[in-house]
Formats: sequence, C-alpha cells, structure tokens
Amino acid sequence: MLKKKTALAAEDEQEPEKELDMKATRRAGKLQPPDRPLTIAEWRKLKESVGNLPRFDIKMICALFSSGSELGIAKSLLTFVAVETGTLSYELLLRYLTLCVHGGHDAEVFDVYGIMRGRFSTLDTGASSLFIKSFSRTARWREAVNILHEMKVVTPSPRNYGDVIAAAMLHGDMMTAWALYDELIENGLSPQQDTWETLFKGVKRTTEVEADNISHSEYEERLRGILSGMRNNQIYPQYNLVSSIKSWFESLPGQKWTGNWTSATPKGLCRCCGSELESIQLTADEYQEIKDRVMTDIIQGRDVFNKTTPEELEHFKEFVKRRPSFDVVVDGLNVANANKDKSKQSATLLAVVSELERQGLTVLVLGRKHMLRPSKSWERHNMNLIQLKAHCFFTDNISEDDPFLLYATLQSGNHCRFVSRDLMRDHKACLPDGATRRLFFKWQRGHQLVVDGQVAAGRMVRFQSVPSYDTIVQTSGDSWHIPYDNTEDRTTYEVPQQWLCLIRGSNSTQ
Amino acid sequence: MFRLFTQRSLHELYRCRQFVSSRVTKKQLVTFHRTVCRHRTFTPVLARPFSSGSPLRTDVLQPKGDKSAEEESVDLDKWKSVMRSKAVPEETQQVNIDEEASDDDDGDLTEPEGDLKGRSLLEATRDLVVMWQQAGKLVPHEMSDEELVELSKLTTKSSRKKFLKYLALKEGIKRARKEKQQRKKAEREAILEQKKQEGGNVELKNTFLLQYWNRSLDKLLAWRSAQAMLFNQPLVFDMSYDSSMSKRELENTVAQLMEVEAWNRRATEPFHLHFCNLETGGAYEKELVKRYSAETWDKLFITSTDRQHVDVFPRERLVYLTADSPNILHNFDHSKVYIIGSLVDRSIQSGLSLANAKRLKLATARLPLDQFLHWEIGAKNLTLDQMIRILLTVKETGKWEEALKFVPKRKHDGFLEKRNQRDVFVQNRVRGVANNRPAKDSDRLLKTGQRNAERTFKNVDQSLYRLHNEPRSHSRDSTAGLFSDRDRKPAGTTVRVSLKSKMVAKKQAGKGKMWWGDE
Repeated sequence: MLKKKTALAAEDEQEPEKELDMKATRRAGKLQPPDRPLTIAEWRKLKESVGNLPRFDIKMICALFSSGSELGIAKSLLTFVAVETGTLSYELLLRYLTLCVHGGHDAEVFDVYGIMRGRFSTLDTGASSLFIKSFSRTARWREAVNILHEMKVVTPSPRNYGDVIAAAMLHGDMMTAWALYDELIENGLSPQQDTWETLFKGVKRTTEVEADNISHSEYEERLRGILSGMRNNQIYPQYNLVSSIKSWFESLPGQKWTGNWTSATPKGLCRCCGSELESIQLTADEYQEIKDRVMTDIIQGRDVFNKTTPEELEHFKEFVKRRPSFDVVVDGLNVANANKDKSKQSATLLAVVSELERQGLTVLVLGRKHMLRPSKSWERHNMNLIQLKAHCFFTDNISEDDPFLLYATLQSGNHCRFVSRDLMRDHKACLPDGATRRLFFKWQRGHQLVVDGQVAAGRMVRFQSVPSYDTIVQTSGDSWHIPYDNTEDRTTYEVPQQWLCLIRGSNSTQ
Repeated sequence: MFRLFTQRSLHELYRCRQFVSSRVTKKQLVTFHRTVCRHRTFTPVLARPFSSGSPLRTDVLQPKGDKSAEEESVDLDKWKSVMRSKAVPEETQQVNIDEEASDDDDGDLTEPEGDLKGRSLLEATRDLVVMWQQAGKLVPHEMSDEELVELSKLTTKSSRKKFLKYLALKEGIKRARKEKQQRKKAEREAILEQKKQEGGNVELKNTFLLQYWNRSLDKLLAWRSAQAMLFNQPLVFDMSYDSSMSKRELENTVAQLMEVEAWNRRATEPFHLHFCNLETGGAYEKELVKRYSAETWDKLFITSTDRQHVDVFPRERLVYLTADSPNILHNFDHSKVYIIGSLVDRSIQSGLSLANAKRLKLATARLPLDQFLHWEIGAKNLTLDQMIRILLTVKETGKWEEALKFVPKRKHDGFLEKRNQRDVFVQNRVRGVANNRPAKDSDRLLKTGQRNAERTFKNVDQSLYRLHNEPRSHSRDSTAGLFSDRDRKPAGTTVRVSLKSKMVAKKQAGKGKMWWGDE
C-alpha cells in the first residue's frame, strides 16, 4: 500500500534527488509554519531552506491550517505564490477557503467566491459545501440556495441542506426552508438533528415577530409531521433537540403545554402523568406480517440451502404442527454456551429448562444433532432429562438453528417467547426494508428472554425482565411522550430509558 | 503518456502567452505591481520591525497612518488583484482545459441527436472528476468512457470517491511499472552500448551445453499439460457463482484463475483442470477471454464446459472443498475429483458453496487447517491460487505440513507441534537440521530408495531433471511421488500412513526396496 502511494506521489517530480529530499523532510516531520506574515523574499528563502519542496504551497497551507495560524500568514503565502507563478491553483484556493470558513472570516470568503467564480467554470463538491456553510451564516444566504441547486450532480449531503435551511429559518424565510426540507426528504436523506432543532427553534422566534404567509396551524402541522416521522422511523432525538421540542410546545399560545423529564415504570406507566405507554405487543396484522417476512426472508432467503435443506425444513414444520403450541422456545446451544465451563454445558441447559417447566410452560428446546452424542459437555443423563421435560428438535450439524427458533416461536402465537442471548442482528439484516426491521426489533424486544447472570447449581434461574411498553414517540392528542437519548454510546440493540412527557393543560380552551 | 506531456506543455505555453497578453492589456495594473514588487524587495529591512511586532488582523482592515503598515496590508491582498486581473483570460483557458479533458468524448460531440439527458449526466460527471482532480483528490488522470459510465451510475458520493480512488491507484501502479520497465530498458541498452564501445567482442558464448530457450520450456510444459489432460487426476472449478459477485470480484476471480492455470502448468504433475458450469457468453467467459485473448483461451490446456460437474463425473467420485464443510480432509485421495468453488467474496458470504454442495448432495470436505496450523486470525477460506498450490503439493508429497505452507502467514502462527508423539517430536527436530527430510528409520529406508530412484531417474531422462528450477529437495519429493505411483500406491497415503504406524510404513518401504531390487 505504501509502495502504491509513493508511486503516486512520485509522479510529480522527475529527478530522483528531489524525491529523496521529499522523503527526508517527510521523515523530519511536518513543515513548521511561520508565526507572522512573511514577505516574498522571506517566503522564497523559507522554501529554499526546506529544499524547494514540490507542492510547497499546499503543504504549507495545510500546516497553517492544522496549527490554527493567523489568516494574514496564509494571505502572505498566497501573495508569494501569485507573484512567483502568476496564478494560484484551485487546490490552494480551496485550502485557503477551508481556512477562512473554519476561522469564521466570512467577508474574506466572499472575495474568494468572486475570484473562484471568475477563474473556474464549476466548483467541486468540497468548495460548494464550504461556500454554502459560510454564506448561510451571512446576509447573502440566498446565494447558498443557488449553490445548492448547482451541485445537484451528486446529491447534496444532509449537512448542506441543513446549513441552508438553518439560514432560511434565521432570516425568516419559512417557505424556502420548508421547500428545502421537503426536497431533502424526497431525496431519501435523513435530516440531521440540528436541522430539526433549528426548525423547532425558528418557528418560535418568527411566530412572535411576524405573521408569515404560512399560517400557525400549518407550522404546527408540519412540526407534528416531523414528530410522527420520528415515530415511523424509530428515531430518538438527542437532548438538545428534545429540549427545543419541549420549549416549542410550551410556547404554543393558548394551549398550555407542560413538559417534564421522566422515565417509565416497568409496568409501562409514565412516572410523571401516570398514563399508560403503548404496549410492545404487536397487533394481529403486524404479527402476521412479521411471521411471513421471517419465513420468506430469513429462513428461506435467496437460497434455502444456505441455512438448511428443504427436507429438514419440511420435517421441522411437520414437527411443529404435530406438537401443541409452545410457550417458550429455548436456543439450546446458546443457553448452554453461556457457561464458560465446557463440562457444565448440559447442566446449565437443564437448569434453565427445569425452571421453565416449573413455571408450567410448554417448552421446546432446539439443538444440533451432535448434542445427542454423549461427551463431556453433553452428558447423556442430562440430555435425557431435558428430553423428558421438554420437546426437543435437533437440526443437522451444518444447519443454522436460529431460523428454526424464530419459526417455532412465531408459529406458536403471540404469547410465545424465546430464550437466547443472541442479538439476532444478522437475521434482522436479512429483512429487506427498514420498516420490517423495526417491526422485527419490536417483536424481539417483547419476546426475547435472556438468562440473567450466571446459572449456578442450586440457584434460581432468573431472566431479565421483558419491557411491557414500546419505546417510541407517541401521542394521544392531549399528550406526547418522547423517548430521548442522553448518552452518545447507545448501541443499536438498546433503546433509550429517558422520556419527555408533554401534557396539555386541563383548562385549555382554544 | 507522451500525448499527455505534449498537451501539458502546450497548455503551459498557451498559458504563458495569455499571461503576457494580459500583461500587455492591463499594463497599468502590472506596472503598479511591479513598483510594489520593487519596493518590497528593497524595503524588507525597514518593514520587518513593524510587521513582526503586531500580526495583522486581516478581516477588519484597520486604517493605519503608518505608511509601511499600509503597504503590508496592500501586499497581503495582492494575490486577489493578480487573480482578478487574470480572471477573464483564465475563463477562456478553463474552457480549453475542459475541451482537452473531454478529448476522447469528441466522437459523442459530433453526434447530432444523442440522448441528451444521459450525455449531460456524463458531462457533469466528467466535470466533477476534473474538479476533484484540481481539488487534489485521489482521482485518475485519464478515464475511459466505460469507466465514466460506471462512475455516473454510482449514486452516493462516497461510492464515487472509492471508485475513483481505486482507479487512481490502479493507474499509479501501472505508470510506476511502465516507468520501471523503461528505466531498465534504458539501462540495458546503455550497458550494451558501453560494451560495444569498449571493444567489439560481443561474440556469442561458446559452451558445450545447448542453449535452453524459453519456448522449449513452454513446449515441454504444454506437453505435460496435454498429458495431464489425458491421464491425470481431474480438478474441477465450479464457475456457477458469477451472479453472487460484483464486477470487481469477478475480475479478481479471473485473475486468480489465471494464476491457478499457471501454477498448474508448471507443476511436475499437473491436474487436469475443468472449468464447469461456465456459461457460454456469460460474464465469466467474457472476462476470461478478455484477459487471456481469444487465441490463447482456445489453446489453453484446460477443459471448459457449460455442463455441471455432476454430469461430467460420477457423483460418488466428487468431493466439494469448502471451508464451511463439517468434514475434514485427512488424506488426499488420488481417485477423487475435488471441486473448488471459484468465488471471491470480499464481504464474506458464508455457506454459499456449501449450499451448492448440499443441493447436489455431494460429499464435502475442508482442509485440515486446525489440525496442522495454530490459527490466529482471518477466515478459513483461501484464494484460488493458494488452493491449487496446496493441492498440487499435497498431491506430490502427501504431506500436509508441506502443502499448508501456502496458507498466508498472517493468518496463523506456525505449525502445531504433534502432541503425545515423542518420536515425531524428535523427528521434527532432526528435520529442522536435515533439510525437511523425514528421519524416522522407516522413512530412512524409503529415503535410500528415493535416492536410488533419483539416480536412475536422472539416467533415464536427464533433460527433464535439468528443467527443475525448484530446489533439490523438492525434485526429490516429486520423484518419490513418481516412484510410489508406479507402485500403484498413492504417495500421499504412503507417507501419512507411515507417520501413523511403523508397521505399514515398513511394509511400504519393503515394497519399495523390492521394486528397486527388481529393477
């Protein structure tokens, strides 16, 4: 890889000495940027002192950028290059532009814009993004809209849209902001949370000041639309966003919303207002859909041979049909493997199965055929006991057992749960679209039992509690419950624990 | 390359002219600059104390009474005036650049009615590439129309960047190689020239040995491959995976297959290669023909067929080699036909070849990697060229220790020591000294037989022995293979079994001795 890169880098220069020089400086480390604007002669001297580096200008301006130097130094460098070569390369201007934008020198950006427009017929995506970012902060934000429309070869990033939308909001142009927001959604992009935040914040400010050509009710409608979008896409707002949502609700005139930070009880009640949160149980339609999708997309997939064989699948279907419906399905290998001690694997599985049987549940244990061969981990006695206490099905050693687990659980009806530590992410990924994946995740949260802690002999087997409520943005008309993130490191299989509870005042008379 | 250079230099020339003309037209400005320049070159000593003390706040232009400070600020923004003064001519220049960039697009330009939408998209993509190049991104200098179309089909910015980076790296490697070739050529010519000048004695060498030409080797290897096609063990490559690969993965597969063919051709005892399920006119065949050229592809000593392997060979002889198989290939069986799925999966698609084997109800096996190697990281699937080298070696020597040396070193940390076999441990130590030769007494017997074999072999066909550019020990192994083959007993099993039980090995060795005694 290194070789390739040097091959590329070596393209510019022809003489080997130069190449050596460059390597030497590379070894010596980065260029040391000067601490004040230099004159042309001084620049020339500096350039000679580092051995007339190729691409000296670019390297120097990068060094200036990373050391956060004064803009004046960069300007003097540009002057030096302009006098020396009679022109400035696009790349150098682009780097200079980056320096200006990050330093917040918007007036300078206008000059650079004029020059680059005059010199080059088109701008690349990087330059366009920088101009958009900078222009959006100023009174010339409308030009940013034009730049945005120009760069349509590649779909602009949500960040680009966000910058312009923020500018439009700032300057009170609701129409443009919402039009751009719609365009963003149409392009299939998901807006950044900052963008939503500005939308919520901006509305508050401008409704007080002026009555725009969009009515209040339409704003409200739009913003509620964003909230239901969050619900449909299972998006959880960050703290910043959720607090601007809270203040927006509270600022609504004549509706008297009050917001509170809260959490939910295990029973699924809001600790603040005591109202019941949505249940995690699927509706009959949803259940039917997830059942069909799992069958077609996860178990059969593109090739039924990938995970099993048709004969085995038929055999298993027949098996499930003959038995009574199960209350709980156990992923035998997964449960057994929770115990690091290989010799206690079958004992662990037996303990879990016994506990479930004690609760009076009909249990199915799924395993692989090799578990039936007596060995140190799979003691014959334990395996026999397990087969007495539960229904058992053993798949071929080369088949996957998870799809069977899902099938058996889903076939047994909505009450049936499964025991496994598996996060099922690879199976979730087999599903074709986001909506079905979210449905699967919801079903998984409501039906998965995970053994809590270590299973030791003589101790009760405990399971982690299954939440009874769904963690999702929800409303009942007079109240909103919004779960939000207050940590950065929530993983995809976790859901937030914090809620914002919004209630409309009881004496609200519109 | 040359064309590029000339274009570039022309371009430079043009730019210079433009610059001069601009200087002429904007005489006033230029003279102004010049005065400033001259001024600056003379005044730095004066100006420095002022500027070093207070670094300038550049955005806010503070009016300063001091004359030299004012000059400093004028100086700082001078690049703007330089650029602005050149703005107009540079614009025409820009058009010029674009025209140059879209040189190979001229054919399209003359077309009166193209699909405008598609063309404008292509144009825009080309602009994008040009601008990214100017912005210093890793982008190829030249792109074919085919590549451009492929690029314009990509939807996201990151995928475009990745594709362009790939092309740029490819271009860089190609250029570096060409340059190296040219440099070497020049060096060679220089040496030749020098010799000529030193004295005209560039006469042909006089040796008692015949000159051995490359084409003679080619011919010999070709004969061997032809022989292999008639008599040797078949090895099947299953080419049915083209639908589960991307274009680039397919290209990689074909590159690996070419290596496979090359290694096989050079082997002492090649396999008879079969490319089964090779759809005529399919993506695989197109790529193979493209890489080999139609002529070479037709001449190649391999069997390619669009039939399935199960139709070509009896089912019970087939064994599908796949990393996902539950069965371990302990012994290489010379009577079986092994199948390798020719698939490159950059994003691992586990169970794909196993699914195929299951569908056809074929026997499956995986290499004994865990039995011999201390596995560290990485998936246990291997590239096709690694597979063929492993199989060729195990076929010749019958030793997995030898064969599994072709497993990439990054994936494992050395070979496993054999447990609970003290004598084998000793053997290993001895082997380390004695150049990988088995040192067990039973094997020692074999070895003497081998030596004899080698000697007689040399006598029989000296030229063949001379061909071997492999190390000596290797050729010894190969002759051992030959010798046991004659014995109607595969070499692989011979040695493996000998490790297991001395009795059998002794019997083998005895047989060998008897055979040589007969001879």
